[in-house]
Amino acid sequence: MNVRNPNSSGRSSSAIIWIVLAGLAIIAGGFLIATLTPSLLPAQASAQAVEVDELFRFLLTIGGAIFLLVQGVLAFSVVRFRARAGDTSDGPPIHGNTTLEFVWTAIPAVIVLVITIYSYQVWTTTRAPQPNETVAGVVGARFAWTFTYDVAPEDFPADVDIAQLPENVQATLAENGSIQLVSNQFHTYVGQDVRLEMVTEDVIHSFWVPSMRIKQDLLPGRVTEVRFTPIEPGVYRVVCAELCGSGHGDMAGQIVNGNLVGGWVIVHPDEETYRREFLEPETLSVLFPPEDPVELGRQILASGRYPCNTCHTLDDLGWVGTIGPSLNGIGARTQRLDASGHPDMETYLHESIRNPGAYLVPGFGNLMPQFNPEPTQPNYMPEADLEAVVAYLLSQTE
Amino acid sequence: MATISAPVGGAQLERPKLQISQYLRWSVDHKVIGVQYGVTALFFFIIGGILAMLIRAELLTPALDVVANGQEYNVLFTMHGTIMIFLWIIPMWAAFGNYFVPLMLGAKDMAFPWLNAFAFWLLPPSGILMLLAYFIGPPEAGWTAYPPLSTLFSGDGQTLWAVSLHLVGISSILGAINFIVTIKNMRPAGMGYFQMPLFVWAMLAQAITILLATPFLAGALTLLILDRISGTTFFNPAGGGDVLLWQNVFWFYSHPAVYIMILPGFGVVSEVISTHSRKPIFGYRAIALSSLAIAIVGFTVWAHHMFTSLTPELRIPFMITSMIIAVPTGIKIFSWLGTLWGGKIHFTGAMLFSLGMVSMFVIGGITGVMLASVPFDIHVHDTYFVVSHFHFVLFGGSVFLIYSAIYHWFPKITGRMLDERLARIHFVLTYLGFFFTFFPQNLLGMLGMPRRVAVYAPEFQGLNVLVSIASFVLGASLLILFYNMYISLRRGQIAGPNPWRALTLEWTTTSPPPAHNFIGDPVPFDDPYGYGTEAAKAYIDAIERRLGPSAPLSTDPRRHEAPVAVGD
Repeated sequence: MNVRNPNSSGRSSSAIIWIVLAGLAIIAGGFLIATLTPSLLPAQASAQAVEVDELFRFLLTIGGAIFLLVQGVLAFSVVRFRARAGDTSDGPPIHGNTTLEFVWTAIPAVIVLVITIYSYQVWTTTRAPQPNETVAGVVGARFAWTFTYDVAPEDFPADVDIAQLPENVQATLAENGSIQLVSNQFHTYVGQDVRLEMVTEDVIHSFWVPSMRIKQDLLPGRVTEVRFTPIEPGVYRVVCAELCGSGHGDMAGQIVNGNLVGGWVIVHPDEETYRREFLEPETLSVLFPPEDPVELGRQILASGRYPCNTCHTLDDLGWVGTIGPSLNGIGARTQRLDASGHPDMETYLHESIRNPGAYLVPGFGNLMPQFNPEPTQPNYMPEADLEAVVAYLLSQTE
Repeated sequence: MATISAPVGGAQLERPKLQISQYLRWSVDHKVIGVQYGVTALFFFIIGGILAMLIRAELLTPALDVVANGQEYNVLFTMHGTIMIFLWIIPMWAAFGNYFVPLMLGAKDMAFPWLNAFAFWLLPPSGILMLLAYFIGPPEAGWTAYPPLSTLFSGDGQTLWAVSLHLVGISSILGAINFIVTIKNMRPAGMGYFQMPLFVWAMLAQAITILLATPFLAGALTLLILDRISGTTFFNPAGGGDVLLWQNVFWFYSHPAVYIMILPGFGVVSEVISTHSRKPIFGYRAIALSSLAIAIVGFTVWAHHMFTSLTPELRIPFMITSMIIAVPTGIKIFSWLGTLWGGKIHFTGAMLFSLGMVSMFVIGGITGVMLASVPFDIHVHDTYFVVSHFHFVLFGGSVFLIYSAIYHWFPKITGRMLDERLARIHFVLTYLGFFFTFFPQNLLGMLGMPRRVAVYAPEFQGLNVLVSIASFVLGASLLILFYNMYISLRRGQIAGPNPWRALTLEWTTTSPPPAHNFIGDPVPFDDPYGYGTEAAKAYIDAIERRLGPSAPLSTDPRRHEAPVAVGD
């Protein structure tokens, strides 16, 4: 019978040559697969990404070799050992081979051991605390990202005189030792070690920046954290990776008419640019808020402090959401007063934010979070913020 | 214990006509129950498949077009996942298990026939509840139903969803008890545990897994229902609860559930590859014991589904266990290759799907090891990479093997052969459709596309169009199988008792088997895969002399005259 029997030793020397040649071809193939594939990964924008991609290349080399081995043996077998027409005989009664079975148990065991140790090393490196890391906050709420920064007086622009600040800003500063910046894009710069502390206002979200290869869930009742160090300037999409409801797919950075909308990480090339283009102007706008409530309301909404932008359309701010009703011309939409039973548009807008479920615009579901007046409640929105937002919305009449 | 007396020797041997009415009523015959499970599962496979087609139609473009809003899309994949897992794959293995475990043991029925029927009849109400959930605020939190999305933010359909799964769970547990008792007590004289067919071994390992795991699903569902309707706060931090409690308990069931869905398939591929390559299974004990090893280690890996939510320090232990489980799975794959090596491979429909499974499942295995590696998993967790991985395992694994089992055992169940030419067309379309549906999803995930989204970044459209078109081919390929079954039932070639010349006991009786399965007590061959020996040939020839001829092996008409169809 012309069948290679693992127990027979008659042709073992030529068999060993074939096995070695096939093994080399398989390993070379694994390398080839691994070398060609990383071009299919997104940009490598963090120190963590470099480590993870190297691990991935290693996994892919091994995976590619195993793939070629199994498919190769399979393809060889179905060609070489197919039953010829009319052949109704049986194959040889071989029931196993202890050595072979030991080998194909031991080799995979060693491979997964190596993978485990290497993975553990990468894991400890990528999440190791850094001595000078900057801490920022992430708030996930259906369906938008908000980033918060505590800015202490030493980071204020040099020409700011604290004694000249408005009284309420001085009070905040005295109480907290810092002021808070809010943005729906996260600004950082090349080489800054970042630690994000993350909380959610409602359901579980997952903070994912594909180009940084980092991901961490935001869990109700917990503060979770994630670390990364940007290495390439650019803009990188933030994506929500955990199902959070009807707007889950919208809870990601988008580009609308060339503008960045929603969650993005913006990596400035160096600290100086970061201070000049983001930190100082934003700090000044918080230190000296506009006197005009309309301007103030616009600034609050534009900052992304409240997660309105994913669901509503508002041309003035570049919002394009479709989950909730459009806010274009909201200040003039007096026909809603009869349906909702409010005396004037100011009350209507006020109540629509404090208690959005009470009156629903026809065709839209009850999805908007309720923004509450007390700091102890979820989705806290101080009365002052609300009045400014309502003033701004009333100014939107077309 | 079954107390049905043996039929009188020499009872009628002509084929009973297909009587649909017997399948629509309460019956304690395990063969009727098996068919009832199978037809019910295929019905839900069609429903789940239509949902999948709608999902892929929506994903042809980056914007919303097929569904009106994200919520409707969430309902589609929630129902798709739940139906495919709980009302298609799990009941389909119950179908084959019910029909063939007693036959393979030479028994007259399952140990508890009434309980068996009861377990099946829990399924139709469960399915109806699941479909009704669609009309009362449909479940939209995914099949994983993470709180608080599934508790504080979902409609009443979510409660119905949980009640429906409770019924499936009870059905599963009752079935598992029945299998364990049957396999332990009803083996024929001369069949120790290590002479059992590997499908029976696989069903035993699966039943043990179900029995130990499913009560945890029941516990989690009960807490979910309480949180939803009676104001408890098990999963609500505002009341002292914890959202991770659900994830831990849910995955403590749902990871073993993966093995519940694949272990019987591992049994099928062992039967099919050995029989259709005419060679003993390579490393019987290793295959049998690796099923048990997978079942046991499968209980220690659950939190790899939580690598982005679990406390970071706890992630490493679960990486280690998840890596370990690759070893027994690898043993199986290498043993199947060892079986093929030197055999006489017949490209029957059953064999094609088993070979196709080995070649596709290995991709799922490789991506599985990648996902077990915590740092890499962090990047692709909850992305299309994961969607690809589990479809390679559950479609490339379980569903391919359900197809393989259908081609292998349909002749025994109906007494008629399926058309092998249609089987080959079905296989080629399924194989190609499957690969191009799911392989590009690996790339989508790595590039940055999360799962469970109806809208996505425009740069992903090209790959998504490819995936959707391939998925339509995959969906259409199923019609060929249904057409094949239909024409086979109408005018298929008569199968005879043992068309594959197999050695396991289900082939030592007529096709379909008579009411109490065997005339007299069947005597098992001492090795269920002892092909290639004179003794095996003599055993098979003796069956043929006693029960009459069978349809020819493979497609070769020269071996012997096929029996003539009667009754048409």
